[in-house]
Amino acid sequence: MKEKIKILIFVLFLGSISGSLLLGVDKYTKFRIVKNQEFKIKAAVLDVFGLLYDKKSLEGVFKENIEMIKSDGFIFYKSKNGEFAFEFSGSGLWGPISGIIALEKDLKTIKGIKIIHQEETPGLGGRIAEAEFLSRFQGKEILPVIKIVPEGKAKEKNEVDAITGATGTSRAFEKLLNENIQKKLKILSTNEKE
Amino acid sequence: MKKNRKKIKRKLIHTKSFRIIIGGLWRDNPIFCMVLGICSSLAITNRVENAITMGLGVTFVLIFTEVIISSLRNFIPERVRMITYMVVIATFVIVVDRFLKAFFPVISEALGPYVGLIITNCILMGRAEAYAIKNKLKDSLLDSIACGLGYTYILILMSVIREFFGFGTILGRKITSDTWTNWAAMTIAPGAFFLLAIYLWIFRTILKKTEQ
Amino acid sequence: MNGSNLIMIFLDTFLIRNIALVYILGMCPFIAISKNLKSASGMSMAIIFVVTLTAGLNWLIYWKILIPFKCEIFTFLIFIITIAATVQFIEMVIDKFFPPLYSTFGIFLPLITVNCIVLAVSLFMVLRNYNFIQTIVYAFGTASGWSLAIILMASIKEKLYLISDIPSGLKGPGITMIIAGILAFAFMGFAGMITIK
Repeated sequence: MKEKIKILIFVLFLGSISGSLLLGVDKYTKFRIVKNQEFKIKAAVLDVFGLLYDKKSLEGVFKENIEMIKSDGFIFYKSKNGEFAFEFSGSGLWGPISGIIALEKDLKTIKGIKIIHQEETPGLGGRIAEAEFLSRFQGKEILPVIKIVPEGKAKEKNEVDAITGATGTSRAFEKLLNENIQKKLKILSTNEKE
Repeated sequence: MKKNRKKIKRKLIHTKSFRIIIGGLWRDNPIFCMVLGICSSLAITNRVENAITMGLGVTFVLIFTEVIISSLRNFIPERVRMITYMVVIATFVIVVDRFLKAFFPVISEALGPYVGLIITNCILMGRAEAYAIKNKLKDSLLDSIACGLGYTYILILMSVIREFFGFGTILGRKITSDTWTNWAAMTIAPGAFFLLAIYLWIFRTILKKTEQ
Repeated sequence: MNGSNLIMIFLDTFLIRNIALVYILGMCPFIAISKNLKSASGMSMAIIFVVTLTAGLNWLIYWKILIPFKCEIFTFLIFIITIAATVQFIEMVIDKFFPPLYSTFGIFLPLITVNCIVLAVSLFMVLRNYNFIQTIVYAFGTASGWSLAIILMASIKEKLYLISDIPSGLKGPGITMIIAGILAFAFMGFAGMITIK
């Protein structure tokens, strides 16, 4: 009996110490973690619009140039020149992929794409996050749909070269981009009419 | 004078602290000798910065775990020993995870779930049960530092080779010429397996020779 | 949610992104217990059972308790305690009611608490936002995939030790790593199985 009480006291002691330590850590870091996430998205938005910034000026540049519009539960970012950007997400070949895409004023041409999160194979599918691949999308048209074709075969305005050796990832990326774009274009165009 | 120095050296070699440190770094190195905690050492060593972070993270948790277990060793009831280790380890792993998320978001993202998996890194449980529960605070502290650093430097050794061949960079800085072709295999699992096998082979051969 | 999605998850975790050979997890028993086929298959059975059960429990705890009460900070701690408690409970039940079963896989149960894949499955299922049924399939697939890998490894090692002369420095963990590397290369071939239309 005495042994059991000893164990109980010890477990309670251990639990309360560890619990209060963790709550302290939680309180101390929560603010920064939320801020880091916001920072990442804001940085990606500025990147796709081609606006220059550094760590310190990010907040200022963002506030000055970009207007956030909330509509149908999505956030759209509008730049001073009337270009639009929005988040896209979906499942890649291996895991979720998310990022930001910006369109020119005509809502037809791609201005820039940036990947925020991906879990594809490093060196193969993982290359979708590289600037070199994403720059292939610049100036391409999103209508009727974006097509990712085998490397070196892109001719039409809506065709983009794939990554050799990462057909699966390229195909998944094509699919999720088109789905996101079609859905958000609809919302954008009805908004514009109003 | 010279004789004196030799004497000091001999004295030093035979102290307990010295043996603990050499044990952790070389003779009983957690990875090479006991082959513990290799999951993370293989999975995240494709970049040097990940390896350093992981190594220091494990060292941090190991130091606190051994110190706490060792100083409580007379109070911990025998039957809840394991759960005590687990609670202490998990608590400090959460601290590390939060710290990385708050101050090094990029590295935290790269390590992903592997930070949480430090909890099941056998080194922690192993050292707590095999060493800290039976030994004095000072020795446990030394043991945890030695084992942690022994673990860290091997992660760094692995990652330097893997990052160089796999990405052509060291710590993100490009050091190869433009004609260099990255070995994609080095960045993924097979490269890690082969590299560790080679290291184990070299280390164990040397260790056997020196012991004879 | 549809059936093909679940089959995808299973194939993905069982063959394509095998937790042992792609994520390199669960390595300690992978080296220690792969010396003979019998203990490897005993361990596998225990793992499949425990992983599926704990992943389900942890899913319920995470989404029904931790998230609504905003206690995410305790996630790791709660997960590992759930796992330890479940393992202890199963061990007791089997020991008491199914003694023959105990001798085949009960002895491996205490080792499972520190096997990374049990915790890894719980962590991955949170990261990937799986729903309950997907989590169960995911956990079952992952554990089966790990078992497949360790059984392959044990069979290869049993033969290898009979016929080949391995350098002394490479014996044990060294040669296991080399076999694992070759297996990992082979398993990469399965990636072609999934195509997205």
